[in-house]
Amino acid sequence: MTYSSSLAVGRKSAGLSRNQNTASFRGREKALGPISNTVILIVLACLLGMLYLTQVTKTNAYGYKVNSLQQQQSQLKEEHDDLEVASARLQSVDRVQESDAAKSMTNVRPEATLQD
Amino acid sequence: MGPTTNNPLKLQIKRTHIWYVFLIVVISLFLLRAFYLQVIRYNFYHKAALSDQLKEYEIPAERGVIKAHMGDGTVPIVLNEKLFTIYADPSLIKKPDEVASALADALGGRPSEYKEKITKEGSRYAVLSRKVSKETKEALLKRKFPGIGAEEQHYRTYPNSQLASQVLGFVNNDGRGVYGIEQALNNTLAGTPGQLKAVTDINGVPLAASHGNVLQQPKPGKDITLTIDVGMQKQLETILKAGVQNAKAPSGSALIMDPYTGAVKAMANYPTYNPASYADVDNVNLFDNPAVGHSIEVGSIMKALTTAAALDSGAIKTNSSYYDPSKYVIDDFTVKNIEEDGGPGVKNVADILNLSLNTGATWELMQMGGGQLNQQGREKWHDYMVNRFLFGQPTGIEQSIESEGIVPSPEDNGAGINLTYANTAFGQAMTATPIQMGAALSAVLNGGTYYKPTLVDSYTSSNGTTTKNQPKVVKKDIVSAQTGREMIPLMEYVVQKHYFKQNFDQKTYAVGGKTGTAQIAKATGGGYEENDYNGTYMGFVGGDKPQYVIVVFVNRPKIAGYAGSQAAQPIFGDLAHMLIDDFSVIPKTK
Repeated sequence: MTYSSSLAVGRKSAGLSRNQNTASFRGREKALGPISNTVILIVLACLLGMLYLTQVTKTNAYGYKVNSLQQQQSQLKEEHDDLEVASARLQSVDRVQESDAAKSMTNVRPEATLQD
Repeated sequence: MGPTTNNPLKLQIKRTHIWYVFLIVVISLFLLRAFYLQVIRYNFYHKAALSDQLKEYEIPAERGVIKAHMGDGTVPIVLNEKLFTIYADPSLIKKPDEVASALADALGGRPSEYKEKITKEGSRYAVLSRKVSKETKEALLKRKFPGIGAEEQHYRTYPNSQLASQVLGFVNNDGRGVYGIEQALNNTLAGTPGQLKAVTDINGVPLAASHGNVLQQPKPGKDITLTIDVGMQKQLETILKAGVQNAKAPSGSALIMDPYTGAVKAMANYPTYNPASYADVDNVNLFDNPAVGHSIEVGSIMKALTTAAALDSGAIKTNSSYYDPSKYVIDDFTVKNIEEDGGPGVKNVADILNLSLNTGATWELMQMGGGQLNQQGREKWHDYMVNRFLFGQPTGIEQSIESEGIVPSPEDNGAGINLTYANTAFGQAMTATPIQMGAALSAVLNGGTYYKPTLVDSYTSSNGTTTKNQPKVVKKDIVSAQTGREMIPLMEYVVQKHYFKQNFDQKTYAVGGKTGTAQIAKATGGGYEENDYNGTYMGFVGGDKPQYVIVVFVNRPKIAGYAGSQAAQPIFGDLAHMLIDDFSVIPKTK
């Protein structure tokens, strides 16, 4: 059998007619081997780990921000408390009594009372 | 031609297998090691990590502020202030002379005193100064002296210094209220501490992502607004101090209260102390509030209540008169009056109060017994004292220590019970505190409702919600409304007939009162002291109805004359004028 006749037999058995391109390049199916599987699994695991780390880091970063805001709040509260103390001292009875305004006042007995 | 030989391929595959096995072995070793560390040795490493990273501490709660009234508004009279303690670690001090000089400049005092502390051998901690302000601390720490540090501490601060110190009390170094309102309402003021349990970074900042974090925010204490008026309190303290000193007495107490609510508008004792410097006070008795905590035999001011009881029980009427023999012999002892009351004669109910007749009060007690001193009279008077005026039991006012006082039982004990009870009718042989007297008189004057005396006007929680402290009725109808109305002119008559350096316009204002000169029982027992008395006064100021009740106690005054009229009465007079001039006493309309 010649080469061309074997092609003809093949064509016939495949039900193909003349002038059809019977030579097709079909890649050999390649399956992933164990090493590739392992490497891919490791890479996937690392990716998941990275994802977890980024989320945890982000959450902790928020924690720092919260902490910073809480410190600011504490500071403002402290300033408010200091001002309250200063205000109370300015309004103290002794201070008012010793003030120039108080010293220039005189006691006046009530003379009359308006009734509704 | 046949297929190419695959020896090189076989070799390649063989090499790949070897590398593959090698890789498996290496990874297995890592996995085994990881298993050993993270599973077998889990507890050990977990514990080690937590000991360094896990922070667990209590978050202190902010203590509530105490406020008082000033006119129509309120002002804080006790606040929290963050101050600093400056300390030194002598082992780290490099240039002691320079440091001591800088400390003296910043904190005051002498460099030599600081040098002694910062050069002390063997010491690792020396307190240099307490209660240092933030500005001073920052200026000092800016110099960056090795071994000098500061730690913050919260203190209570009193902008009005000694004002109402015994009413307020103070907070000790443990953060606990001691004496006064601070102790009585410590749980309300202290709040609830919070808790933080968290894994932290190297700076102690909690890591938000760590599991099992526990954060309980502290619950700040409630703010308390007192019924006290700052202006009235200050004036009462000034008048009381001047009056006690003028009477040459070692101490005294006074209070002003609203008879229609039980609210105490002012309460003071002399001498007093500064609660900001409580640690410097030598005499711890100064921390007490005698207006609430010390009961004494009150003397003749009790006659106002005896008269009210006799009127209310129907034993006497306001226009009743009787023959006063000027003395009664009871259980072999003589009950008599002071010389100035004159001898025997016809007296009336107004005279009993105005002339302060001991025999008159005894007569009233007799009338409660149907004409003589007996079990019936004693039981009736006991009922008024204990079940209506509520003597012999604490009032429940918000103070740490309150004295109950003593009321003798009316049962015949075979030891001169009639004499004992005759004495109680004029305020001897029984004891009471100023607040008990004020609350009882208030109940009579307002027509029979006994209000629980209180120092608290309202509570404000940290979210701003204010809860008013409503007047609490303890008992109603302790006397009839008519009795209350009848007592007012009787007590006004006493004021009208007594000397005050400035008279009262009783057409415009109702001012009534009763003096008391009380004997003092000997500490060793067996009778009363010869030459020492307590001076007492209780009364009211108002218009158509009493607006303020005033009680004054002066202890052992040395001024000449009767303790009641010479020591306590002038203080009452000044207080009554002060209330009329400055505190909107509504005048009479009828």
